Amino acid sequence: MISLPALLPRFIVTVLITIILLFSSASAWKKDEFRNCDQTPFCKRARSRTPHSLPHFTLSDPSISDGHLTARLLQSISSSDNDSAAGDAPRPLLLRLSVYQGGILRLKIDEDHSDPSAPSKKRFEVPDVVLPDFEDRRLWLSRVSSSDDGSTSSVYLSEDFEAILRHNPFEVQVRRKGSNDPSISLNSHGLFDFEQLREKKEGEDWEERFRGHTDTRPYGPQSISFDVSFHGAEFVYGIPEHASNSLALRPTRGPGVEHSEPYRLFNLDVFEYIHDSPFGIYGSIPFMLSHGVKSSSGFFWLNAAEMQIDVLAPGWDDAAAAVKGRIDTFWMSEAGIVDTFFFVGPRSKDVIQQYASVTGTLAMPQEFAIAYHQCRWNYRDEEDVASVDAGFDEHDIPYDVLWLDIEHTDGKRYFTWDKVLFPNPEEMQKKLFSKGRRMVTIVDPHIKRDESYYVHKEATDKGYYVKDASGKDFDGWCWSGSSSYPDTLNPEVREWWSEKFSLQNYGGSTPSLYIWNDMNEPSVFNGPEISMPRDALHFGGVEHRELHNAYGYYFHMATADGLLKRGNVKDRPFVLSRAFFAGSQRHGAIWTGDNSADWDHLKSSVPMILTLGLTGMSFSGADIGGFFGNPEPELLVRWYQLGAYYPFFRAHAHHDTKRREPWLFGEQKTALIREAIHTRYSLLPYYYSLFRKASASGVPILRPLWLEFPEDKETFDNSEAFMIGESILVQGIYEEGQKSVSVYLPGEQSWYSMRNGAAYAGGQAHKLDVFEDSIPSFQRAGSIVPRKYRFRRSTTQMTNDPYTLVIALNSSLAAEGELYIDDGRSYDFEHGAYIHRRFVFSNGRLTSSSIDLAAAPPREKFSSSCTVERIILLGMRPGGAKKAVIEPGNYETVVEPGPLVLRAGAGSVALVIRKPDVRIADDWTIKVL
Amino acid sequence: MAFMEADLRFALLLAIFFIVSASRSTSLPNKESLGIDPQDLGYYKSNVIKCKDGSKKITKQQLNDEFCDCPDGTDEPGTSACPEGKFYCQNVGHIPIKIFSSRVNDAICDCCDGSDEYRSNANCPNTCWEAGKAARGKLKKKIETFKEGVVLRKVEIEKANQAYAKDEADLAKLKSDEKMLKDLVQKLKEQKEVIDKLEEERLKKEQDEKTLREEKEKSMEEATEMGETQHDGAVNNKQDESIDSHDIAVESGNDNRDDREAASSQAVEQYIGEDLDDGDVSEIADTSPYESPKQDKGDSSTSEELSREELGRLVASRWTGESADQKTDNIGNVEEEHMDIDPLVTNEHKVSPSETEEDGAKYNDDDDSYEDDKDEDFEEDHADSDGSYITDEYENPDPADTTVGSSSSWLDKIQLTVQNVLQAFNFFKTPVNVSDAVHIRKEYDDTSSKLSKLQSRVSSLTEKLKHDFGNEKEFYLFYDQCFESKQNKYVYKICPFKQASQVEGYGNTRLGSWDKFEESYRVMAFSGGEKCWNGPDRSLKVRLRCGLKNEISDVDEPSRCEYTAFMSTPSLCVEEKLKELEKKLDQMNTRETQNRDEL
Repeated sequence: MISLPALLPRFIVTVLITIILLFSSASAWKKDEFRNCDQTPFCKRARSRTPHSLPHFTLSDPSISDGHLTARLLQSISSSDNDSAAGDAPRPLLLRLSVYQGGILRLKIDEDHSDPSAPSKKRFEVPDVVLPDFEDRRLWLSRVSSSDDGSTSSVYLSEDFEAILRHNPFEVQVRRKGSNDPSISLNSHGLFDFEQLREKKEGEDWEERFRGHTDTRPYGPQSISFDVSFHGAEFVYGIPEHASNSLALRPTRGPGVEHSEPYRLFNLDVFEYIHDSPFGIYGSIPFMLSHGVKSSSGFFWLNAAEMQIDVLAPGWDDAAAAVKGRIDTFWMSEAGIVDTFFFVGPRSKDVIQQYASVTGTLAMPQEFAIAYHQCRWNYRDEEDVASVDAGFDEHDIPYDVLWLDIEHTDGKRYFTWDKVLFPNPEEMQKKLFSKGRRMVTIVDPHIKRDESYYVHKEATDKGYYVKDASGKDFDGWCWSGSSSYPDTLNPEVREWWSEKFSLQNYGGSTPSLYIWNDMNEPSVFNGPEISMPRDALHFGGVEHRELHNAYGYYFHMATADGLLKRGNVKDRPFVLSRAFFAGSQRHGAIWTGDNSADWDHLKSSVPMILTLGLTGMSFSGADIGGFFGNPEPELLVRWYQLGAYYPFFRAHAHHDTKRREPWLFGEQKTALIREAIHTRYSLLPYYYSLFRKASASGVPILRPLWLEFPEDKETFDNSEAFMIGESILVQGIYEEGQKSVSVYLPGEQSWYSMRNGAAYAGGQAHKLDVFEDSIPSFQRAGSIVPRKYRFRRSTTQMTNDPYTLVIALNSSLAAEGELYIDDGRSYDFEHGAYIHRRFVFSNGRLTSSSIDLAAAPPREKFSSSCTVERIILLGMRPGGAKKAVIEPGNYETVVEPGPLVLRAGAGSVALVIRKPDVRIADDWTIKVL
Repeated sequence: MAFMEADLRFALLLAIFFIVSASRSTSLPNKESLGIDPQDLGYYKSNVIKCKDGSKKITKQQLNDEFCDCPDGTDEPGTSACPEGKFYCQNVGHIPIKIFSSRVNDAICDCCDGSDEYRSNANCPNTCWEAGKAARGKLKKKIETFKEGVVLRKVEIEKANQAYAKDEADLAKLKSDEKMLKDLVQKLKEQKEVIDKLEEERLKKEQDEKTLREEKEKSMEEATEMGETQHDGAVNNKQDESIDSHDIAVESGNDNRDDREAASSQAVEQYIGEDLDDGDVSEIADTSPYESPKQDKGDSSTSEELSREELGRLVASRWTGESADQKTDNIGNVEEEHMDIDPLVTNEHKVSPSETEEDGAKYNDDDDSYEDDKDEDFEEDHADSDGSYITDEYENPDPADTTVGSSSSWLDKIQLTVQNVLQAFNFFKTPVNVSDAVHIRKEYDDTSSKLSKLQSRVSSLTEKLKHDFGNEKEFYLFYDQCFESKQNKYVYKICPFKQASQVEGYGNTRLGSWDKFEESYRVMAFSGGEKCWNGPDRSLKVRLRCGLKNEISDVDEPSRCEYTAFMSTPSLCVEEKLKELEKKLDQMNTRETQNRDEL
């Protein structure tokens, strides 16, 4: 008997749940429109399997061939495990292990096309993602060692690591030499499955239907799944893009996990995406990193089909035997092949560099591109553009780029202009450029099916569009109405597309115009899941399902290539893309798409951008203010304060929202936003140096704390604070009216507030008051940050302005830092035309010396007449110095107390070396006395 | 004469030459005055200079030494070293201005005398003379307009005050009339009630007698004529009906789907058509006009029910907030947006608007950076007819009846009539004289209808007088006027103190109802207009500026559904402002002569 009082709370709960459900169903995210795992047969099938329930795959005939280890994989036949196994016997699969410099193991598994019974259709291997020179770095394997009992084979991987192949059941392990504990392993739980292509059996129905869309699936089931275990891991990270307020990937299955979808990698245009969900959004990078106190490792699956990934909670396979310090993951893909990369680490930055050596580092952007961008859907006409531009000048707020969204075109025909609204586009761009400012216009992949539109006509005539399942040009609906999509998988189409950006072909464009690729998931309004049908056909008979996640990648690539050609390979392209794939960092920036103007989205922007940075896409940002909805002024200010630290710093808004240019919320808010934007401009020398470092090594600009403090467990699950490079820590403020915040400052050294120079001890959390004028930011003791304390209309006018060096001394009164400068535009830096300085402060002496990235002597030179106008010393006792002597020249200058920032009323909180006036390009020493 | 002109031109050229060469020769400007307002020079005289924010003291050597010592910028008025500094350009020949320190030596010419670029590569020619001349010319023209405008404004205010006084007097009179008329109506009403009562009693009596008589006759008839025919007929009817309606139901069941699809696809097309750019006109030319859809498909509709194109449009509409969604998603919205037309506005719309001539030219003072105050309240004279018209007559369709002017005569007449009627009526005569009764009733009806008209006039006048018409009632005459402006395909109709709307063909969108004046009578605000899908209620702000005609221009929608417009009107041609402008011109002229004298 359940008494009434006992029932009552349950009743209330039920009512509450109903209300919540009703409320949530009213939210704009149309969950029903997207397939969940249960509605996706390959995912449902794979996810329902238990460990070792499939017939084993057994490895045979391991041998060395062309420096690879090759073998055959055969699945033992069972009576009836799944529908695909019935009938014809499985053919052996081909396995190939290769080893690359720097601790990278590559495992490929595909069908054996030499087998006479193999189908003629070849499975898709994603081209042009792995760096062209990657093969040059392959280590030639000369021998394979077998264990005494013949149950395993092993090959050399690096000085410290080896790869082990277990034969039966098949398993791949990467482990430290001389240890029996692997660091990464594949198929340790026997979940490996590979649905081979085969003939359709009589009466078999391969079609899949979803919400009125039929996928003909002419090649039938072809999915692949396997488990990957990260040993010695506390957390796993990566596999963007998902909206989340957690940097560490939360388990999706196992004890303690309520029902959750796996992390889905499927590029989709999701209307009003929610801030915390494993569902797929605009981009996909199937790269995961693990991190523990002792080591890090990484795993990358080069596959562009729909992917679903489970992060399994300890005890998922056996609740009684939950293993600590190991994280199991389960990877499923609809099609393609196994082409996977194991990164041995062992330090987290090693993993990132190993991944970068496969897919590349970010393309070095021009300096303007890392400054502030002003965007809105839409700046309506030339007058509007002029008045927004004037608004910035009137309020003394710098900005570098003004953006035009889709409405600037003639009926959404890209490369054209609305003749009424934008009658003189060239003049408009020239006016902006006279103040050193650039413009960006949008060019999307949906091409309006209009016979009189030259792009459509050419693409039709040349047969450059993606085809539908019947072989006709695919026709989908998007902004331009009935539209087709260029098949940029085809290099010839990419070539054609890139030519569209030449100044001759793109009427109304000027050299100061750059490009924005939106909707390239691709977004198809009347397609399944608002995208392209999976049975659409690409170049070489590739089905859309096989390359879906890389469609935007090729489109982005072709556009960036267009700008490169336009500038005769002398002008670094800037192309912002919404969709992305592994390697997109080589083509430009990305942003986190259509977020919303609420505090939750502000908060999730940080883990999202950090995750992108960890997986190569360092040049990324979220729309300041939130795309949908109207931010309260407080939220907008906080967003500017946080966004000023995003690598890509752009404000953007939906056309239904109220205007929100920085000066529209009263003088006080204007001043706060100006201050936030100034913060970014003052840090541009530091940012630019970090971008150069990222383009050289792959290490991100925005970094999780654990990347800098890999042994500090406190940092592993911190999603609210982040490092900018090695020297600055920022804590976001994510709540309305927040009065105080707890900030964990890692490490043994102290930290100096960038607001007032106050020192805080490291290795502990501090409860700090929150101020309206800034979010908490700290410079790490022991670092030197180059800044510029003069503000201009845009970066263009800052070129010759003098530097300020901010030196934060550590406990032994030492510090060091770097500065990288080049012309900010061209590729001359690749030939040595740059200045790269190292600053070291120790024993009361600051020295500047040159660092040369390249060993070869520079072919070209870059010079700068810039000087250092001010050196700020934090952490030196007041009166600790009175004067400074500069060498060479042996002249003196004053050291006096001074402010950290140049704002009226700023107190003297540091010692300032006044006007050393040394040239930034020179070697010099300044001795503090 | 010709010689004189040539001579003057020569002098000017010479002067320009001197100024240019002067600014060139001082390529290393004097640190002690660089960027400093002459009025401020005293502050910098002493050898120890205080930062204005009190943060510290500096020596004279630290003034303009390219290093920011005072965080507030006190010590670097002539360089870009302090972010909060301001640089003073003398701009000889024109107006001096202060620019942000961020502009100093940034290779962009900001001061017309080029003084801000003393150490950059920019070649900034001195353009102050020309610019100054142009600015003075402009200012002169503006002053002329203001002068004329001030006169017009006085006349307007006089008219307005007369009208106001008259309206007040009228109201008082109307109120007393109302009282009188109320009394009459009351008397007539009492009379009528007496008559009604007598009449009622008489009728009741007659009726009772009649009923009695009829009942008797009826009972006799019924007894004989009762039959089966009636019953059969009823059954047949019922059967036929049910069969028919069944057929119809089946038929319409078949048709229903097609109808629905047709209607909704038409609707979708029509909606999209409205949203397409001009370039797409050809595509929508053959679509049928929108009809109210018969079925609400609802948001849950699966793709199967929609054509692929409809689906595309539907999804697109989420981002655009445009109509495909309203159509298939929410019929309520459609009705709200397209069917709910304010009857008041509709009525008004029948009035054919007076011809408006659109003059694209507008006073564009903003690009003249030397006008430190933005001359929002100034509009250059337009010779065109204005787009205004009087609305008064349309609001009072029966003016003769209650207009105050003729009131004495009609009210007297009524009084007389009523008295006659009342006197003629003999209360004690029973039964009531039929013609007298009719007379009384008619008189009562007439008089009370007159009373209600009068009352509505009283209330509308009271309502009118309640408004705030400005410090000098300068906007009083706006009350009964509407102003129109045609911009592309829309006509904007602005009726101060009432409402504003956007008219396109026969479509009428309410931009807002009168809210209030803002910024001390410089802005007319209308709010609470039709709701925007996914956006705010529409609203409009009309910024007023001095001009010789009442004229609307530059209607704009800077934010979705938030409209702005300019209106020029003599009401803004305020004398104080004129004096200010004249003073400014005086200063400019004095400077000019000074400068010439200095040469």
